[in-house]
Amino acid sequence: MLEFFNYRTIWEYMPLFEEGLRNTFLISIVSLFLALIVGVLACAARLSNWRGLRAVSIAYIESIRSTPLLVQIYFLYFGLPTLGIRIPEIQTGILALMFNSGAYIAEIVRAGITSVPNGQIEAGISSGLSYFQRMRFIILPQAVGVTVPPLLGQAITLVKDSALLSMISVVELTRSGQILTSERFMPAEAFFTVALLYLVIYFFLKYLSGWSQKKLIFRET
Amino acid sequence: MTVLISGASLFLGTILGFLLGMVRSRKNRLVNPLIGFFVDVMRGTPFIVQVFIVFFILPEFGVELEAFTAAVLAMTIMGSAFICEIVTAGILAVPKGQWEASSSSGLNILQQLRLVIMPQAMKTILPPLVGQYVLLIKDSSVVSAIGVVELTRVGWLTVVRIPEGLMVFSLVAALYFAISYPLIRISNSLERKLTVNRVSL
Amino acid sequence: MIRFQNVNKWFGSLHVLNDINLQVSAGEVVVVCGPSGSGKSTLLRCINRLERIQKGKLFVDGMPVHDSTINLTKLRAEIGFVFQQFHLYPHLNVLENVTLAPIHVRGMKKKEAEELAMEKLERVGLADKATAHPEQLSGGQQQRVAIARGLAMSPKILLFDEPTSALDPEMIGEVLSVMVKLAEEGMTMCVVTHEMGFARQVAHRVIFMDEGKIIETGKPDQFFDNPHSDRAALFISKILKH
Repeated sequence: MLEFFNYRTIWEYMPLFEEGLRNTFLISIVSLFLALIVGVLACAARLSNWRGLRAVSIAYIESIRSTPLLVQIYFLYFGLPTLGIRIPEIQTGILALMFNSGAYIAEIVRAGITSVPNGQIEAGISSGLSYFQRMRFIILPQAVGVTVPPLLGQAITLVKDSALLSMISVVELTRSGQILTSERFMPAEAFFTVALLYLVIYFFLKYLSGWSQKKLIFRET
Repeated sequence: MTVLISGASLFLGTILGFLLGMVRSRKNRLVNPLIGFFVDVMRGTPFIVQVFIVFFILPEFGVELEAFTAAVLAMTIMGSAFICEIVTAGILAVPKGQWEASSSSGLNILQQLRLVIMPQAMKTILPPLVGQYVLLIKDSSVVSAIGVVELTRVGWLTVVRIPEGLMVFSLVAALYFAISYPLIRISNSLERKLTVNRVSL
Repeated sequence: MIRFQNVNKWFGSLHVLNDINLQVSAGEVVVVCGPSGSGKSTLLRCINRLERIQKGKLFVDGMPVHDSTINLTKLRAEIGFVFQQFHLYPHLNVLENVTLAPIHVRGMKKKEAEELAMEKLERVGLADKATAHPEQLSGGQQQRVAIARGLAMSPKILLFDEPTSALDPEMIGEVLSVMVKLAEEGMTMCVVTHEMGFARQVAHRVIFMDEGKIIETGKPDQFFDNPHSDRAALFISKILKH
């Protein structure tokens, strides 16, 4: 099979792949950053004592988790203009990824916070620490460690999810493969290259995740 | 159509995934790296790229596929990789002593798996498995990219004619929600129910 | 020092504390025993208000614990609590575990708190482990650190909730001997435990609970050798078999 491979074409289209890869990076990093903010806020709302806030947060998280990302992307892509909001496709895409990952991150953060055993919180209460002191000195230092590996997992998901932005013609990695396919009809060259590049990112993040798992998680023995 | 594609590939993916998972849990030195690599490739590349590879590239090798068949094939393969992971984790969560005890009483490997190991592993497997089904159903929206007329594609086709993006895709989303949300609830309640009998510290 | 007056508490329909009346004076060591589910842990947890009582009155060093306006920080600073499962903070080393509350609740300077902590660690015989992390310690050592953590706030009362039940047999002795030393120094202690040897050696009183009620109170020797109630006799015969 490899002798059928037209490496010249791949080489020729390198600038296109480069642009795609750059955009995939850009989109993923920006969305991840924004999603972290959304996620932490949503989680705080979810754990708050105010019932209204909690309900809004749960509704947000559950509706995101129960619907496909592609539908969410289309919802914004076709929906925003009907509201009179016109922004470039790439921003629509980042917005969709932000809301999507934000919901999953909210759950990851919540799991991290609730992973700290109850007894330690009681120990903190017993020595007279206030709610904020318990948060700061007992819960958060441990929760941060617990959340890093699944957050990296979410980063992997996010990189892959950004491929769906090709459906609203954002030129990221997958779209560059589509362009090559439609211009030269060389789908094998196009999509194997694309897949390989995604795999490189994946293995890097996976390695990071395994490392952080060993380094950052404290266990009560 | 969404239900049909999801149903078919969930069924096939589950069978394949369980087979792979059981083989992998035996820790064979030759087979395991292969399965591991397969799982990594499936987890490391976007589903849409996998769909394109199946749909555009298989024909180059003389395998002509209808869009529907290609969609089911792609979803089955991907699903089996994720399910394989879940099954392996579930089997490895069964204490080693159970293998030793059951082989001491003279059961062969298949009997061990069927009578002793799997019934216990199912407790760990079931909640994430149902969660995985939700992900697969949602992923089925992606096969609209190769023109399979499923729920998302219907939305897309509608919105091209009636430019009411918010309404159309709210409706599409609501339909997915109606399928997914109950499954998520089931997964959550299974998780709660099946972890009760774990030692509480 | 501690006074329960007609205290009641329910978990749903379960009556966990049924009309408890009990007084513990300063310097007294009280052992609470009884079958599991008898409410003895709950009794202890009410004293520093990890659990709230629903009816009756409870005073600790003159402070009304049943009153919701009470200063909880002040109450808890006077009470050290030792858990069955130790619950050391795994992300902090031994010294940091002990100094956390003195620094952040008492507002001590770090250095001052560390000196205090070293003194407490000395008392439980673990001064040399100050920089170790909890995971590097045996269960017995972890529990001794937990006791030092409880002592760090210089409490007037120490509460122990089955402090040796999670330990391997060979480690029970080291924890008990620390507790004996504390008792002999005149600390007010309430201890939920089935360790009869400990009870006979230092307890002033043994309280036997069942189904949320205090069934029997007595001197340790009298209680273990000659219980008044059938339920206590049955219970003692069961723990003796072990």
